[in-house]
Amino acid sequence: MSNAIWAEDLHVRYRAKNGKWIEAVQGLSFQVQAGEVVGFLGPNGAGKSTTLKALMGFIEPCAGYCEIFGEPAGTLESRTRVGYLPEVALYYPFLSPLETLTLYGELQGLHGRQLRTEALHLLEVVGLADAATKRNKTLSKGMLQRVGIAQALLGEPELLILDEVTSGLDPVGRKELRHILHARRDAGCTLFFSSHELSEVEMLCDRILLIHNGKFVEERQIPELKAELRNYELTYDGQASLLDLTEDWSEPKPGEYVARFHSKEALIEAVDRIHQSKGKIIDVVAQEGSLEDYFVETIGRAA
Amino acid sequence: MMRKIMVATILLAAISVGYAVRNLGEVVNPPYVPAGLDAQETYASMSLLGQFKTSASAWLWLHADLYLHNGVEMREMTDAEKRSGVSTEDAADDGKAKLMDEETVLTTVPSKDRDFRGIFGDIERETSAYKDMHHHHHNDPKLALPLFRLMTWIDPDFVPGWVQGAAIIARDRTNEAAYKALEYLKDGRHQDPFSVSIVNEVGQLYITRLHNLPKAAEYLEQARIMGRHRDWVLDDTENNALLQCYRWLTLCYRDMNEPAKLREVATEGLHRYHGDPVLTHLLFPRPGPVVERLSH
Amino acid sequence: MRKIRCWNAIARAVLLEALRRKDLWVIAILGFIMILGASALGFFGVAGLEVFVKDLSVTVLGLFSTIVAVLTSVRLLPDEIRNRTLYPLLARPISRFDLLFGKFLGAVFASWIGFLSLSFLTAIALLIFHVQFEWVMVQYLVAKMMGLVVICAVTLALSTFMTPQAGATMSFVLAFGSSMMIRGLVMASDSASAPMKGMFQVVNAMLPQYSIFDMGSRAANIGWSAAPLWVMGALLGYMVVYSGAMLVLSWSKFRKQAI
Repeated sequence: MSNAIWAEDLHVRYRAKNGKWIEAVQGLSFQVQAGEVVGFLGPNGAGKSTTLKALMGFIEPCAGYCEIFGEPAGTLESRTRVGYLPEVALYYPFLSPLETLTLYGELQGLHGRQLRTEALHLLEVVGLADAATKRNKTLSKGMLQRVGIAQALLGEPELLILDEVTSGLDPVGRKELRHILHARRDAGCTLFFSSHELSEVEMLCDRILLIHNGKFVEERQIPELKAELRNYELTYDGQASLLDLTEDWSEPKPGEYVARFHSKEALIEAVDRIHQSKGKIIDVVAQEGSLEDYFVETIGRAA
Repeated sequence: MMRKIMVATILLAAISVGYAVRNLGEVVNPPYVPAGLDAQETYASMSLLGQFKTSASAWLWLHADLYLHNGVEMREMTDAEKRSGVSTEDAADDGKAKLMDEETVLTTVPSKDRDFRGIFGDIERETSAYKDMHHHHHNDPKLALPLFRLMTWIDPDFVPGWVQGAAIIARDRTNEAAYKALEYLKDGRHQDPFSVSIVNEVGQLYITRLHNLPKAAEYLEQARIMGRHRDWVLDDTENNALLQCYRWLTLCYRDMNEPAKLREVATEGLHRYHGDPVLTHLLFPRPGPVVERLSH
Repeated sequence: MRKIRCWNAIARAVLLEALRRKDLWVIAILGFIMILGASALGFFGVAGLEVFVKDLSVTVLGLFSTIVAVLTSVRLLPDEIRNRTLYPLLARPISRFDLLFGKFLGAVFASWIGFLSLSFLTAIALLIFHVQFEWVMVQYLVAKMMGLVVICAVTLALSTFMTPQAGATMSFVLAFGSSMMIRGLVMASDSASAPMKGMFQVVNAMLPQYSIFDMGSRAANIGWSAAPLWVMGALLGYMVVYSGAMLVLSWSKFRKQAI
């Protein structure tokens, strides 16, 4: 499978107001395969938006290299296949959503009836059909974000780069967005997005990339990570010895014991031992681990 | 008892002196009402609006020059140009009264031989109002009348706007034009009641257009009195107008056969304007060219 | 063809914004009121207003069209960057030069529409005061429109190097003061040495020659003939060359600018 995105030893710096150079991205290397959905995570100021801007060619890296579908990032060829949603973007206040999409569609190479049809369809998809002809300055932040999503989907791009995609959306909006992105994924589109909504990342992504202070920290496949984070809580009585299977063991009430296992195998072994020792299983609870805890812990380690 | 009488007497004396001093006050310390360009400076120093009025009226005044030259911008020669002997582009002598001194003027857009700009200069000479202005003729000054009207609306204290405007209105030399000019100056007097130039202009109009010497003398006397009372606050324009006033008044009294008044006015005028040839000639007539009589 | 569509799309967006912002209409109405107001001198017994009305008209047209051109052009790029509307634009497969040129065209069209609207209102005022039509007035309009192109290009260039406020100030200084600076050069050149004259030529070539686009003095006064065709051709050529240079200057700064 070819790489939709390839970044090699990316360095991006910019000059702050006090004249000092700030290294926003330091030696970042990663790849995104075509068809993947990858979440790009990091705390505030980690360099996520800067990386996405470098991929779009808004900022020139001072060292390193990045490509989009084999073309150098920022070139016209690379941008032909990309849909981009900027972080906190505004749109021309005196244009309507339909006029905005028409403008961007024309720049994308679409025109005429095809463009108008697609623009109207996208506005319906993002739930702005009724507001198609209202001025952008009258729209709320969430509605403007929907305009942004619609313009990113113009021309059915092969790669969607979305910065803070759920920003400003209410829960209904987020759910609708998930459906849209699922549909795009199912159609073979590659998604690369940053978000602070870890629940959304968990639901959508195949993989996550974690960065901090402009440096790569970790990348994990979501199914493996979820499995790792998942744990089983077993409440039982009896004399079975489970200390070799888990360290997380407690006796909340006399005669009643609680043990936590991180793997199904350990749980099954524990159940066997309890049965063999004529003990009684009182309760078994499977708990999905918190991605948030993982995030905080990993960033803490990297700091 | 005596003390009370003394106090009462002193008080009465003080009140009387104070009352008398009040009448002298206007003579000893007349209210300063600036004339001419001083008006702009005084009012300008008071407010931003004053600054705007000054600038606007000054700009319109300069702009009137463009109308006379049919849009061709003229400028004074620099010292270097005068020294190098560049020929001036002054007005032709067409037998009419000179509107202005143009002995050292050139067009702002230079001629080809004095222009280093090459093609840019050639283009500008074709797109702007430019032509060889040697011995040029002026447009009818009436074209500039709207500007004078605007000047006086924006800045009623701008006396030259009233005076020149009236002169332009009356240029037709008809009675109707003269009355229109007088109406115009009436507005001016209302705005600038202490201006010698405006009142003098009224007097001159009565003489030159309406040939009404007694009426003219009436106004010229007013101008003379105002000039006397405001002697030390008159600017150059007002001073010149006062000189003209003395001359015209002297001529009036000559033609009205009032020699006593003639002598009084001429003497007073010479006392102020030492050696003025017109006043000297009128006071001490000699054989030779006679100053033309005002009445026909 | 695609490039033209792209420029057209961006220019249309600029034009729509300018029209819907109502700046153009406010200025046009103000200008019309000024012309009518001052022309009302005719109702106060001041005859012979033809030259005055024409003069006032070209003054108001020149002033307001310059204001519209500068204010429209100066905020094109800075506003885009500040409002982040630049990102979705540049995310499209268009070059930064295409964006710049499209914006420039939009500013030019907006300036022309403002100018022509005010010209139309002015023509009504002239008709009311029975001013006769002359061909030199048409030339004045065409030349002025070419001049507005140069103003837009210069202002756009300035806006890429400085803040909008500083850019607008500099542009106004150049628009209303460049002719004075050139006059000064001309007057000084008479007594200047040969190397100085050479430097004056360089400075003169660099300064925008706005005065050559202003045929107002011919249009307002009496009896001036229309300029020969070669002059209009030369104006067109200068407009293309100077505006092109300004656009290249803008692009040289904008193309590497981190957004």
